[in-house]
Amino acid sequence: MNKQDRQQDVPVMRLERMRLVLRYILLAMTAFLFLLPLYWMISSSLKPAYEIFANPPVWIPDPPQWQNYRQALTELPFGRYAINTLIIAVGAVIGHVVSCILVAYGFARLRAPGKRVLFIILLATLMLPYPVVMIPQYIIFSELNWVNSFKPLIVPTFFGNAFFIFLLRQFFMQIPNDLIDAAKMDGANLLQIIWHVIIPISRSAIATVAIFTFQFAWNDFLAPLIYLQDQSKYTLMLGLSFFRSSFEVNWPYLMAASLSVAAPIIILFFITQRAFVSGITTGSLKE
Amino acid sequence: MADVVFKNVTKNFGDVTAVNNLNLSVQDKEFLVLVGPSGCGKTTALRCLAGLEHVTSGDLYLDSERINDVKPKDRDIAMVFQSYALYPHMTVFKNMAFGLRFRNTNKTEIDRKVREAAHILDIDELLDRKPRALSGGQRQRVAVGRAIVRDPKVFLFDEPLSNLDAKLRVQTRREISLLHERLASTFIYVTHDQVEAMSMGTKIAVMNRGVLQQVETPQNLYDHPANKFVAGFIGSPAMNFFKGRLIKKLGTLTFESSGLSLPIPKSKAIYYQHYLNRRVLLGIRPEDIHDPALPVINIRPAEVDCKVDLIELMGDEIYLYLHCGEKEFEGRVDPRSKLRRGDRAKVLFDVDRVHLFDLRKDAENPPVISTRDA
Amino acid sequence: MTPAQRREAVSFYLTISPWLIGFILLTVGPMLYSLTLSFTSWDLFGSPIWIGLDNYLKEMPSDPRFWQSVKVTLIYTAAYVPLELVGGLGLALLVRNRIRGIRIFRTIFYLPTVLAGVAFAVVWLWMLNPRGGLINLALEQIGIIGPRWLLDPDWALSALILMSFWGWGRAMIIYLAGLQGIPDVLYESASLDGANDWNKFWHITIPMLSPTIFFNLILSIINTFQTFTNAFVTTDGGPLDATLFFVLYLYKQAFNFRNMGYASALAWVLFIIILILTLVIFQTQRFWVYYAGEVKDE
Repeated sequence: MNKQDRQQDVPVMRLERMRLVLRYILLAMTAFLFLLPLYWMISSSLKPAYEIFANPPVWIPDPPQWQNYRQALTELPFGRYAINTLIIAVGAVIGHVVSCILVAYGFARLRAPGKRVLFIILLATLMLPYPVVMIPQYIIFSELNWVNSFKPLIVPTFFGNAFFIFLLRQFFMQIPNDLIDAAKMDGANLLQIIWHVIIPISRSAIATVAIFTFQFAWNDFLAPLIYLQDQSKYTLMLGLSFFRSSFEVNWPYLMAASLSVAAPIIILFFITQRAFVSGITTGSLKE
Repeated sequence: MADVVFKNVTKNFGDVTAVNNLNLSVQDKEFLVLVGPSGCGKTTALRCLAGLEHVTSGDLYLDSERINDVKPKDRDIAMVFQSYALYPHMTVFKNMAFGLRFRNTNKTEIDRKVREAAHILDIDELLDRKPRALSGGQRQRVAVGRAIVRDPKVFLFDEPLSNLDAKLRVQTRREISLLHERLASTFIYVTHDQVEAMSMGTKIAVMNRGVLQQVETPQNLYDHPANKFVAGFIGSPAMNFFKGRLIKKLGTLTFESSGLSLPIPKSKAIYYQHYLNRRVLLGIRPEDIHDPALPVINIRPAEVDCKVDLIELMGDEIYLYLHCGEKEFEGRVDPRSKLRRGDRAKVLFDVDRVHLFDLRKDAENPPVISTRDA
Repeated sequence: MTPAQRREAVSFYLTISPWLIGFILLTVGPMLYSLTLSFTSWDLFGSPIWIGLDNYLKEMPSDPRFWQSVKVTLIYTAAYVPLELVGGLGLALLVRNRIRGIRIFRTIFYLPTVLAGVAFAVVWLWMLNPRGGLINLALEQIGIIGPRWLLDPDWALSALILMSFWGWGRAMIIYLAGLQGIPDVLYESASLDGANDWNKFWHITIPMLSPTIFFNLILSIINTFQTFTNAFVTTDGGPLDATLFFVLYLYKQAFNFRNMGYASALAWVLFIIILILTLVIFQTQRFWVYYAGEVKDE
């Protein structure tokens, strides 16, 4: 019996039971603190305007103004923004997945002179602050007439991403040599090996790359800010920021809009959180 | 006095009963080995004694004091873990001194005790190294040293040799036995390897599926197993078992099985006669099967007509894989034997050394029909 | 090199070519370009004018907003990083057991990290609202009249630090992974040796966790120095530049004032600062980070 697999058995001693209770209390209190802002946001989003500054505070809006959502999301073309964001996010996922798998495979399983140096450089770029390359990249994209389009946000992803390359490389290094050797004996070339052997085995790691990329693209702010000038091209985050700064703030609408913008990611998170929270914490991302 | 008593100890993990009503006592200074296959409950029983698990029901006594509710650190027990549990970020010295720090021992005392233990285990030069710079065998010694330094009432060992290679294992076995003599303390040792158990313990407790099967000295365990499980577990290669019936043939009590007819010696017949016409299980060890061409004295031979399926030349003996009728079995014979694959032979069973088990009482794990006076 | 080795080398360079090309085009190239730009003055009209080290030696030192942004970023980082390091560890220790329902709590603590930078900021913008925000309403219940938080130059930065606890989930997850790597037997052995919980924490948990703490420290500093979205959305650097973070100022210089040369110089200053800090911390590893090393079985 693996200790890892066993449920903690019921503590018999009184002291242990007390400690368990204490832990639950602490957890509950902290969880309360963490959930409070979220709850306040939800509750505020459903309040009529006059309740928003009520004192003592109104905890449960009565009656809940569901129409706040419809109104907030039509004040600005959030539907359009959602489509924009989706295009960018999906584009980024494709870009990262395709490029990072390829590059990671090279670093993980091929030998060549200079590989070590290149790998160190790869890791070093993780520490490079975006602002250092931000302006020149902007100027370059400007010259290419790519400003005010999605291209600067999607195309660079096809050149890989240091963090995900690193992640996949670690994963690929653990794939048993035998599998790849067998494929080679069967006559597979590099791309075939990647397609038929590496990718099927690495589904969970690749999924992680995809999910994180999607999350990042969905939430990205600075890059879309400098590259997207037409309002019609805004992403959800830009739209939200614009919403907040452009009108005399209608708080319930703003809360409703924020929740709506964050909702898809939260839902995605809940669906995949087994892989996230459990996976990372058990040391390996097993399905 | 450091004797240990398990009284009706049961340990459940949810629906699973790991230890089932264990009653076991270990005398002071004894070397008790808890042996059994994986999952038999031996490690759980050990951990209950250490205090790392709570006993579901029953009582644990150390030195006649009930320790069920005593914290591990107050039980005065030291444990050598299977994975050694050395702190990777501390030197060997600090690893060994760790326990003493929390018992308010002063620095000179700690220094003396650690060096003394290191000397006993011949690891003096390793004191400044970190675990990652040590070999497996060295790490194991540090783990033992850590226990010695504590000078506890009882030493617990949880499969300490399983991570060592075969040769090192044999050597370390001897060292642990010597250590036991030198320290004159109570050792409780868990292993799944019956060879280890037989060679080290003064007393062996065999467990299976949470239930204690038998507690005996090694030789007695070998000669007088209490049931089929113990008989099959102790001794390698394992005992052969034949299902059959006791009948009377030509006035003699005989064991009959398909193709097999073994007369029971008169000295034993007294004990078996109540079982006439009953279904029994006969057990005979491979080493009690002999090549008829190489006569062995002091056996009571009975011929068994069989065919040789396969032989393995081991150098010091030959393993024979035989079958008689439908039944396959193994023998260990003199290396000079000329028996080869495909031969028909009338091998000799030493019927003085057979064991009979009562299938009616328990079909799965029949108890032995005793040939000892109570 | 044998032909086989040569083939493998070629394959290698082919497979990493996307990254390599991207590295040259989008990293090295731009880096050199921005370095060069930092020695110029340019507003995107006409050509850049070479001014040598003036940006670094004249403009920056005499620019009060530059110093303000450095001050803001340093203060924020100095407060945020230790808080996150300790807070994240605290959360991780709370949720490390496998007791019933622990996964729910882990999810709750990690959830805010999933929220966008913008959504995160908006939530707290509202929480810290002097009139309708929960913080001041709660304070009023115990008789304190809360400050105007994000609207008050004296409180704005503190407000941003206050809300940072919500983001501790990221550090928590990394700590959890590190905690997972500490074998249970070490704690069991210590139990038998007489160690209490505090002993175990100090002598086992912290040393074994030190590589993780180190990783979190580096990550935290690098990220915190680049704070942008929070500031942009909540205060846009105000009020009165009280929350003028460095990258925010850089952004304004580049895209509001179109001082490309100056902004590039600022970027390089940021880079150098982060680099130095990181190197310094790397050097201190020796004193407090214990790498268990590869413990290989026989």
